[in-house]
Amino acid sequence: MRRTFLKSLLAASTALSIGVMGSASAELSGSVNYIIPFGPGGESDISARFQQPFFKEKFGEDMVISYQPGGGGAVGWASLNGLNADGQTIMGVNLPHIVIKPAQKDVGFTTEGLNIFHWFHYTPDAIVVEASSPYQSLQDLIDDAKENPGAVTLSGSGKASANHLAQIKFDSMADITTTYVPFKGTGAAVTALLGKQVKAEWGYSTVGATQGDAVRMLAVAMDERHPLFPDVPTFKELGFDMVGGAYRGLALPDSASDETTQMWSNMITEINQDPAFRQQMLDGGFAMLDVGVDEMDEFMAARTEGYLADARAAELIE
Amino acid sequence: MDIGSFFSALTPLNLLFALFGVVAGTIIGSIPGLTATMAVAVLVPITFSMEPASALILLGAIYTGAIYGGAYAAILLNTPGTPSAIATTFDGYPMAKRGEGDLAVALACFASVAGGLVGAFALLFLAPPLSRVALAFGPVEYFWLSIFGLSLIASLSNGNLAKGLAGGAFGLILSTVGVAEVSADIRLTFGSQTMIGGFGVVGALIGLYCIPVLIDLVAVPERHLKVEKGVQSVRIADAFLLAMKSKFNLLRSSVIGTLVGILPGAGGSVAGLVAYSEAKRNAKPHQKFGEGEPDGIMATEAANNATVGGGFIPTLVLGIPGTPPDAVILGALLVQGVRTGPALFESGGSSIAYTFIYGLIIATVLMLPVGLLIGRYAYKSIVMIPKAVLVPTVAFMTVIGTFAIRNSVSDVVIMILLGVFGWVVGRFGFAASPIVLGLILGPIAEQGFVQTWIIGSAVGDLSGMFFGRPISQGIVAFTLVSLLYPVYSAFRQKRILANSGGAA
Amino acid sequence: MSATRGVTRSTIGTLLVASLFVVMGIVTLYDTLSYGDVDSKVFPRAAASLLIIASIFSIVLTLLKPAADEGFGTGSWWRRVLLVVSMLAACVLMPLYGFVVASAFAFLGALIAAMHDEWRLKNAAIYVVSGAVVVGGFYSLFRFGLSVPLP
Repeated sequence: MRRTFLKSLLAASTALSIGVMGSASAELSGSVNYIIPFGPGGESDISARFQQPFFKEKFGEDMVISYQPGGGGAVGWASLNGLNADGQTIMGVNLPHIVIKPAQKDVGFTTEGLNIFHWFHYTPDAIVVEASSPYQSLQDLIDDAKENPGAVTLSGSGKASANHLAQIKFDSMADITTTYVPFKGTGAAVTALLGKQVKAEWGYSTVGATQGDAVRMLAVAMDERHPLFPDVPTFKELGFDMVGGAYRGLALPDSASDETTQMWSNMITEINQDPAFRQQMLDGGFAMLDVGVDEMDEFMAARTEGYLADARAAELIE
Repeated sequence: MDIGSFFSALTPLNLLFALFGVVAGTIIGSIPGLTATMAVAVLVPITFSMEPASALILLGAIYTGAIYGGAYAAILLNTPGTPSAIATTFDGYPMAKRGEGDLAVALACFASVAGGLVGAFALLFLAPPLSRVALAFGPVEYFWLSIFGLSLIASLSNGNLAKGLAGGAFGLILSTVGVAEVSADIRLTFGSQTMIGGFGVVGALIGLYCIPVLIDLVAVPERHLKVEKGVQSVRIADAFLLAMKSKFNLLRSSVIGTLVGILPGAGGSVAGLVAYSEAKRNAKPHQKFGEGEPDGIMATEAANNATVGGGFIPTLVLGIPGTPPDAVILGALLVQGVRTGPALFESGGSSIAYTFIYGLIIATVLMLPVGLLIGRYAYKSIVMIPKAVLVPTVAFMTVIGTFAIRNSVSDVVIMILLGVFGWVVGRFGFAASPIVLGLILGPIAEQGFVQTWIIGSAVGDLSGMFFGRPISQGIVAFTLVSLLYPVYSAFRQKRILANSGGAA
Repeated sequence: MSATRGVTRSTIGTLLVASLFVVMGIVTLYDTLSYGDVDSKVFPRAAASLLIIASIFSIVLTLLKPAADEGFGTGSWWRRVLLVVSMLAACVLMPLYGFVVASAFAFLGALIAAMHDEWRLKNAAIYVVSGAVVVGGFYSLFRFGLSVPLP
């Protein structure tokens, strides 16, 4: 009897130590490289800056943010799988970019080849107008577009981007024709809006947050109204089934171990659940999301299908 | 205008930050490949634990120091340390070649301080109204502005107009390589993955300016720069006198720099260029721009430091970054919870803005002694170091500097190859500056054109769009003047010579 | 009063370079044919046309008035080649052997290329040591001061 007891004790302690060793094998060793595949100042940069202090506080290591702009993100994503896979380097990823770009041309990476471990927020699409604009509601804009097809100009960031897709989708839903004017980044699109170079902007809820009273949002693409903007209706309320925007997440090189990937997923989830972090993000106009490795495959499959369908309908890809 | 904020800017801690920032910024800016943006981006995390105003002062000091520091390499190595110092090479390097490098460096310091102060005072007193300027510039204005910039290539080409234009056009084409901003097409990559990122400005800058210098340095045994016996502080006094004589030039260039800084997306390189061209246009007959004319250096350095203050105007008032370092600083501000907007400037509103502006002014003033000191040191070391150490050091710096931009070895290879190409074509009269200017202005021109076209077509008024707006009409007129003026003045000179020849 | 005509080396050089630009302009025009979007064609075509026109102009001007002061000039070729080759070699070596080794290689190559004085032991020692200091110093600056990940 004692022998069996001892044996099981031995087995248990072995299992326990293996378990401990197993999780201890994925650990941070030194400061972390957070690469943003765009230039500084954009939404990816800002959300990373928000994460930085929380990361330091919770996990004790520095998060060093660096920029690798080029090709609208393509340069960064194409280089990701060649980077050090020891878990010290992560890179921001964005939807719909990582779905649309490889579908259009050979850009050096594939959507499936990216080892994404978390999607932590999205910026819902929104139509923004300048404070003195004659459009008081979404219907005003629709009416103007119906009377003057093509004359309603909306600025947005880039072509074949979230803003552009939103414009195409909404145009077909509302049966109108508007003109999309691409700018380099949200900042330039907002400048054009404020300077009245265009009649409206396809932007995000974050624009409403940063510009405050200088702008007015006509609608947001969310399921429910954003807590920061209780007066802004959702597209759904107004009869248009549009929910979405630009999603942002993080990825590791694909040769990173499963433990490392799981570890990172847990760490980012922890930051994401922190009420102070959530509040800061919401105050900035972001909308929160929590997709870790467990839900990743399902989430990506749904999104990829949706975006590809939209892009095909918009004739951006075959 | 909060006097209380002035005193909070004067706290020992803030003074320390200002001083440290200026020193660090100057050193970083002088290394080709390290830009002000990088310097600011790296130090942002440190600022999270600081008061917002102190953080801003530190970042602003680094920014202004870096813009000044870019002049060192421009003058002594013909390589702009930052893109904003491109126009400083025009007269800075010739001055250094004839042994007046220390004078040039001192001039750059005085001019930078003057420009920085004008920009900072504009920020202090005129920020809300001036921010309207940022908004008044739409795509069509940017398009005409870039055409104006390209026309400056013509006036700066000193007789080699065809070659200058060819270089500029080549630069324009280089800027299209990669993913197009306006259409998501991929252009001129010939199937290569590496080229998708296109030609970065900083890498091309280093390659086209610095590599040819290095190639020529190794080829001959002569010393790099003439050494005038005894580098003393006499040159500082000389520089000061020259600066005083050139007050109007300094003022005009600073105003130009402030205005260009206000325009998001324009930046120090454009400012320096425009100021230089204006100074040249208003030159007195005995001045020889392009061969080492002090006014040339003063114009560009005043303008590029003025963009620091100017760039903060749209950043703080509208939340739209005026220049890339402003974008980083804006991000840092957001994390600190600082809301940008006109409220920042109203009395009773947050004192952060005013404390910061006073701190920026203090940092700019501090740049004078600091800059002169570091400048003298930099000059001495570059001049005294034997070539066998100077060349490898600079070569090494270019490699590490280019690599650090995007962590990419292929960027370095491109830089070197572009440099060799630049050396070859430079030997036959195709200078580097038009190519780099084309590279910088290309995206602005293209986006401006396409956006104007789209909007104009949408409202059905293309010609009105392109030619009907007052600001763009002004820019077009200016362009024509600066294109035709050299022709006109050459014509007049010939007339004068003919008359005096006939009379003799 | 006739200007010295005659096909000098510098004339040929200028003509070659200008022709190279013309070729590049043509290549650009050719590439624009494969673009999907109308918007992306306009600008490269305009720039390429400008390039071709300006280059042809400079060819014509050079033939009419050859510039005598251009060209590769004097100066040793092997040094120039050594400099460029050692820098390129450093790029190739970097992913394999890490940053310090690769750049030390480049540094050494450039040192030899630039060294015009006699090779005395003392000089050599000083230069190598200062080289090590420079490489080490900048490496630390970038790696630790600016947090740039170097291979």
